Amino acid sequence: MNISWDHFTAFAIPVLISWMLAIITLFATKKRWLNKIFTLAGIVGFATFIVLLWISLDRPPMRTMGETRLWYTFFLSTIGFVMYAKWKYSWIQAFSLVMASVFIFINIFKPEIHSKNLMPALQSIWFVPHVTAYILSYSFLSAAAISAVILLWQYKKQKETATLEAFTDNLVYVGFGLLMTGLLIGAIWAKEAWGHYWSWDPKETWAFVTGASYLIYIHVRLRESRPKKFTLWLIIFSFIFLMITWKGVAYLPSAQGSVHVYSQ
Amino acid sequence: MNKNSSPWWKAPWSYKESFAVVGGLIASGIMLQLSIGNFDYEIIRYPVNIYLLILTLIAVAVLTLRHKSHLFQWLAGVPLSVANISGLLLYSMIMGLTMQAPANADGQSALGFDTVTRSWPFVIVFYFTLLNLSCVTSRRLLNFHWRDYAFYLNHLGLLVLLYAGGFGAADLRRYVMHVEEGATEWRVYNEKDDVLELPLAIKLNDFYMEEYIPKLAIIDRRTGDAIPNGNPQMWQIDTTRTTANIAGWNIQLEKYIHEAVRKSDSTYQQIPMPGSCPAALVKVENSATGFNQSGWICCGNFAQLYMTMQLNDTLSLVMTRPEPKLFRSDIEVYTPDEKTYQAQLEVNKPLRVGHWMIYQYSYDADAGKASAYSSFELVYDPWMTWVYVGIFMFLAGSIFLLWEGNKKARRKNA
Repeated sequence: MNISWDHFTAFAIPVLISWMLAIITLFATKKRWLNKIFTLAGIVGFATFIVLLWISLDRPPMRTMGETRLWYTFFLSTIGFVMYAKWKYSWIQAFSLVMASVFIFINIFKPEIHSKNLMPALQSIWFVPHVTAYILSYSFLSAAAISAVILLWQYKKQKETATLEAFTDNLVYVGFGLLMTGLLIGAIWAKEAWGHYWSWDPKETWAFVTGASYLIYIHVRLRESRPKKFTLWLIIFSFIFLMITWKGVAYLPSAQGSVHVYSQ
Repeated sequence: MNKNSSPWWKAPWSYKESFAVVGGLIASGIMLQLSIGNFDYEIIRYPVNIYLLILTLIAVAVLTLRHKSHLFQWLAGVPLSVANISGLLLYSMIMGLTMQAPANADGQSALGFDTVTRSWPFVIVFYFTLLNLSCVTSRRLLNFHWRDYAFYLNHLGLLVLLYAGGFGAADLRRYVMHVEEGATEWRVYNEKDDVLELPLAIKLNDFYMEEYIPKLAIIDRRTGDAIPNGNPQMWQIDTTRTTANIAGWNIQLEKYIHEAVRKSDSTYQQIPMPGSCPAALVKVENSATGFNQSGWICCGNFAQLYMTMQLNDTLSLVMTRPEPKLFRSDIEVYTPDEKTYQAQLEVNKPLRVGHWMIYQYSYDADAGKASAYSSFELVYDPWMTWVYVGIFMFLAGSIFLLWEGNKKARRKNA
C-alpha cells in the first residue's frame, strides 16, 4: 500500500479522538489504565502512519516542515506518556497530548506547508530531538513559574506550602534536565552542521543566561536556611530569561544574523 | 543573602565574601581591560594552555590534600559557585544585549562589552569558575558514592567541557578553501582573509547538487512583490495535487520538467545537463476576469532565460528559483603522512581527519548545480575529543536529572 499525505486525515482523526478520550479519562475517572489505553492506541496509530509513509517514501520522513511535525507529535505524545507514568502529573500528560494534537491540526489545515522544504542544515537527525526536548522543558519550567507565583501568594496568606514547594523544586529539576538535554543536542548538531559546537550566537548566549539563572536557583536552594521568597523570585526571573531566549531574541538588535532567526 | 550577620571575612566564608571576591575579580578585570585592552587568546596557545591546565590541576590537588582548610571548603562550596555563576550571568547578559564585534575585528567598547568572550573580566571569572568547579568535583570525589553518579556526570562533564572549550579556544582555527572541480588545493583563507598554506590538500572530483521543486507565485510587475501584499501566497508545485488557487487565479499544472531545456518553439523538453532548469506547463483561469490561458513558465538560470505568464496589466505568474535540497562534493584528502581519505561531503556530513574537520561550506550560488567549484570549511580543534567527552557526560547527567528529578529531596521526605 502506497501511503501518502492524502491518507493522513484518515489516520489523524482516530488518533485525535483517542487522545481526546485519553484527556477526558485523565480528569473524569480514577481508572488510570483507561487513560493509558487511549493514549497508547493514539501513539500506535500515529506511529503506523509514520512507518508506512517512511516505507513508501523510501527515506525517513524528515525533509519538509510537515514531515518534521510528524515527529513532534510522535515524541511529544510518547515522552508525555512516559513522564506521566513516572511522575503522575496529569497536566504533563494533558499538555503533551494537546501539543501533539496541535501539530496534527497544523498538518491537516495548512496542507500547503507539508512541502515547505527544509534547508540542508536542518536535515539532521538532531533537529527533532533538539526541538522536542525544548518544548517539554518549556512546559515544565512554565509550570514551575506558575507554582512559584502561587507559592508567593500562599506565603502571604501564611498557608501550608511544603508539598507545593517540593513539587515546584522537582519541576525545575526535570525542566532543567530537559533544557540542558536540548542545549547539548544542539551543540552536537551545530558541530556537524556549522563547524563549531558553541558560537555565542545571540540565541545561544541567552540560552546560557537562562541556564546560569536556573543553576543559581538549584544551588541557592541547597541550603536549609535559604531565603524562600528570594528563591521563588529566582524561578520567576529565570522564566523571564527563558521567554527572552525563546521569543525575545528575534527583536534584539544584537541578533542580526543569528542562525536561529529564520525569516519566512 | 546570608541572614545571620557574621562579621566580614571571618571563616567560614559565605555568600557576602564570595560575591565580594568575584566582584573584586571583575573590578580588576575591568582595570586590565581599560589599560591593556582585550585578552589575547594567542598567549595561551599550545603548549601554554597545557601547562596552565597542569598547573591548575596541581593547584586543585594540593588544595584537596588540605581539604579541611577553610580555603578549600570555601573554594569547593555552594556560595562561591553561586557568585561565579552570577558573574558569568552578568557578562553573558551584556553579551546578549550588545551587538558583538566579529571574531576577527577589534571592538569599539573600552569596557569590552562588544567583545565579551575576549574581555578580561569574563576570562578571569571563567577561569575562577573552572577552579571552583574543579574543587567542588574533587571534594565530592574524595567522598565517593556510586549513588552520586548524576552529580559526577553533570559536574565532571561540565568541567571537562569548559576546560576543553575554554583552553581549546586558543588553538581553534577556522579556514575556508575553494576548490575547482578536478583541481587539488591546499591554500585557504583565514578569518582575516589572509591566504595561508595548509599541510592538508583536497582534490575535488565532482560537485553534485539536487534542488527542490520550485514554487509558483503571482507578482506585481511594478514592485516585484508577490501577492496578496504582505501575505504572499506561493504554490509549491506538486505533481500529485495538480491544482491551486492564488488570490482568485486557478492554476492547473499540466506538465512539470525538473531538468528542462527550451526548444526553439518556446516549449521545453527534459534534458539533464548542467544548464537545465525547472519548467512547468500550466493552465491559468480567473472566473472574475474571464482569463484563460495555457503556457510554459520557467524560472531561468545562468544559461536560460526565465519565462513568465502575463495575467493582466500589472500581474504576472512566475516561478521562483529552486532552493537547494542537497549539495555534495566528492573529495580526496591528502595528509602530510601520505594518507589519502575519500569522502562524499554534505552539509551535516563532515569528514574528520585527525584534529581536522572538513565541512561542505558553499558553492557558486549563481551557477547552482553547474557550479564549477565547491567551498569547504576546515576547522582545526585538537581539543575536540575532550569536548565530546564533556558533552556526552553532561548529556547523560542531564538525562538522569530529568528522569530522577530532585532525588535527594524525595529521599529526605520518604
